[in-house]
Amino acid sequence: MMIPLRYNLRSLAVRKTTTFATAFGIALVVFVLASALMLSAGVRKTMRTSGHPDVAIVMRKGSDNELSSTVESASINVIAAAPGAKASTPDLPSSSPELVIVAAIEKLGASGVTNVQLRGVPEHGMRFRPEMRIIAGRAPAPGQDEVMIGARLRGRFRGLDLGQSFEIRKNRQARVVGVFEAGGTSHDSEVWMDLDLLRTSFSRQGYVSSVRVRLSSPAAFDAFRAAIEGEKRFGFMALREAEFYEKQSEGTSIFISAIGSIVSVFFAIGAMIGAMITMYGAVANRQREIGTLRAIGFSRRAILLSFLLESTSLALIGGAVGVAGAMAMGFVKISMMNFQSWSEMVFTFDPTPQVILTAFTFAASMGLLGGFLPAIRAARTSPVEAMRGG
Amino acid sequence: MTAAETKAETKAESKAEAAEVLISVRGVVKTYERGGETLRVLDGLDLDVKKGAFEALMGPSGSGKSTLLNLIAGLDRPTAGTITVGGKRIDELGESALAKWRGDTIGFVFQSFNLLPVLTALENVTLPLLLTRVAAKEREARATTALRIVGLEDRLHHYPRQLSGGQEQRVAIARAIVNDPALIVADEPTGDLDRKSAEDVLSLLERLNKQLGKTIVMVTHDPAAAERASIVRRLDKGQLQ
Ligand SMILES: Nc1ncnc2c1ncn2[C@@H]1O[C@H](COP(=O)(O)OP(=O)(O)OP(=O)(O)O)[C@@H](O)[C@H]1O
Ligand SMILES: [Mg+2]
Repeated sequence: MMIPLRYNLRSLAVRKTTTFATAFGIALVVFVLASALMLSAGVRKTMRTSGHPDVAIVMRKGSDNELSSTVESASINVIAAAPGAKASTPDLPSSSPELVIVAAIEKLGASGVTNVQLRGVPEHGMRFRPEMRIIAGRAPAPGQDEVMIGARLRGRFRGLDLGQSFEIRKNRQARVVGVFEAGGTSHDSEVWMDLDLLRTSFSRQGYVSSVRVRLSSPAAFDAFRAAIEGEKRFGFMALREAEFYEKQSEGTSIFISAIGSIVSVFFAIGAMIGAMITMYGAVANRQREIGTLRAIGFSRRAILLSFLLESTSLALIGGAVGVAGAMAMGFVKISMMNFQSWSEMVFTFDPTPQVILTAFTFAASMGLLGGFLPAIRAARTSPVEAMRGG
Repeated sequence: MTAAETKAETKAESKAEAAEVLISVRGVVKTYERGGETLRVLDGLDLDVKKGAFEALMGPSGSGKSTLLNLIAGLDRPTAGTITVGGKRIDELGESALAKWRGDTIGFVFQSFNLLPVLTALENVTLPLLLTRVAAKEREARATTALRIVGLEDRLHHYPRQLSGGQEQRVAIARAIVNDPALIVADEPTGDLDRKSAEDVLSLLERLNKQLGKTIVMVTHDPAAAERASIVRRLDKGQLQ
């Protein structure tokens, strides 16, 4: 049988200051890790929810993203009419050929420029995405040098706010006439304008980056892809939109988790040494208690386990504080470079159960590893210690 | 033979199980290495303790009383010689077998009580039962009974710091008897107590011996404590005198 856990928990409570200091160190590490993982998950979520299950995106085979893809205008109609595609209605157009380009725009409140993604859409492009709403101003009128911006860009770049102007390209000014919201998707960090405006500004007549096609149902995707990819002379590929966006975010999300993990592992070494010192102290102070437990008949293994549980509990207390801190980051929005599109996007922290589990597992591991040597020393305590005075 | 021993012998022999030997120590040597020097604390010591006896072990400081008690209780192993308790050669037992044996056989009473400070009286007394198959409900019932025997049924949920020294030692005695051990060992159980508390603790030990038939081996400096025992032995120069 085990030594009851409350023995360890109460012993931790008795040494309030040491317990607090040690747990705090672990909390910091877990905070860093959990925040990074939550941000990484947030990136994936933002990107994934940017996609509709019944929308397919057609791009040049082998292109990683819309920026590097070209689709000739001549193919657009063929793609839109492929098997599996839904018939268009005036309310809900079934395809949307779009051009994506990045522009360097000056940041406000920080020096330097950042790439912002510009998206040229056909006149009905907004209606293709029913979740999009104009929250200020109006939609840009075709034939005018007008754009609208995603809500997350607002006030963060020179010229990118309602009523202001910015240079799409050298000597080509465009005016911001509207602000839209796209349900927290990556479009919220884009500048939208008429397809022809973007094409002429950058001399990209004759082709687009991608064609989005609304399918008759999510299940129709396989047939659609077979039709698009089967036509070898096109050299196109078809992806589900959600899948496409998630894939796009992979690099960024892996990069964030990797940085977070590396930093946490280094910090963790410090926190673990802290836990080890604390536990060595606990073992030294409790020689007579441990000796008594041994005298009463508890095995070395029971003592080992008991002290491992104590250091693990200590670490989990820290872990809980760290995770709570990271959860509080849920209120923070982070703007970051998306490496696939080389443009700035805004992400939030997503505390998925997976991330929380990982954070707690990490904390527990720190406790186990840091507490291991002290626990071995505890287990080696001679029962004769019980007889010593003091 | 001292007067006390003779008196005890006659008293014990009137009982049926008097002849049965519980502890048998033969030729026990215990040496300690200290700074390259070998200290021979016990030097070929022989001892028999009969079942149901209440023995006091006296002797000058440093004479090896605690050392001998530790050996009998299986806390430590002799350098040479044999120790048999209840027919079992404990000097041959391995570390974990010895721990299990202690849990089954020995009740410990320490000079400084050695209650776990973060556990209540009841929790402290329950500890030895965690090593048995006794179910949780039954454990609590038995621990409560043990605390009733030592007169502390109204202090079940007190922590050691909320108890007087005498009460702490009585909780420790409850912990020592809760497993119904064959042998109770006590190293100066009254050493840290005032006169009155010491008397209470000694009366309690006496009662455990007389009423519950517990075999007790007690190390003490206190002649008044030794007075309560049925046999008093003296240790000096590594031998029983
Ligand atoms: N672990 C040890 N290492 C070295 N020497 C020891 C050890 N334990 C005890 N001794 C020595 O053995 C001798 C006997 O010690 P022990 O504790 O048995 O004496 P004691 O009779 O109980 O004395 P006291 O009445 O002061 O408690 C002492 O000289 C002591 O210093
Ligand atoms: Mg002693």
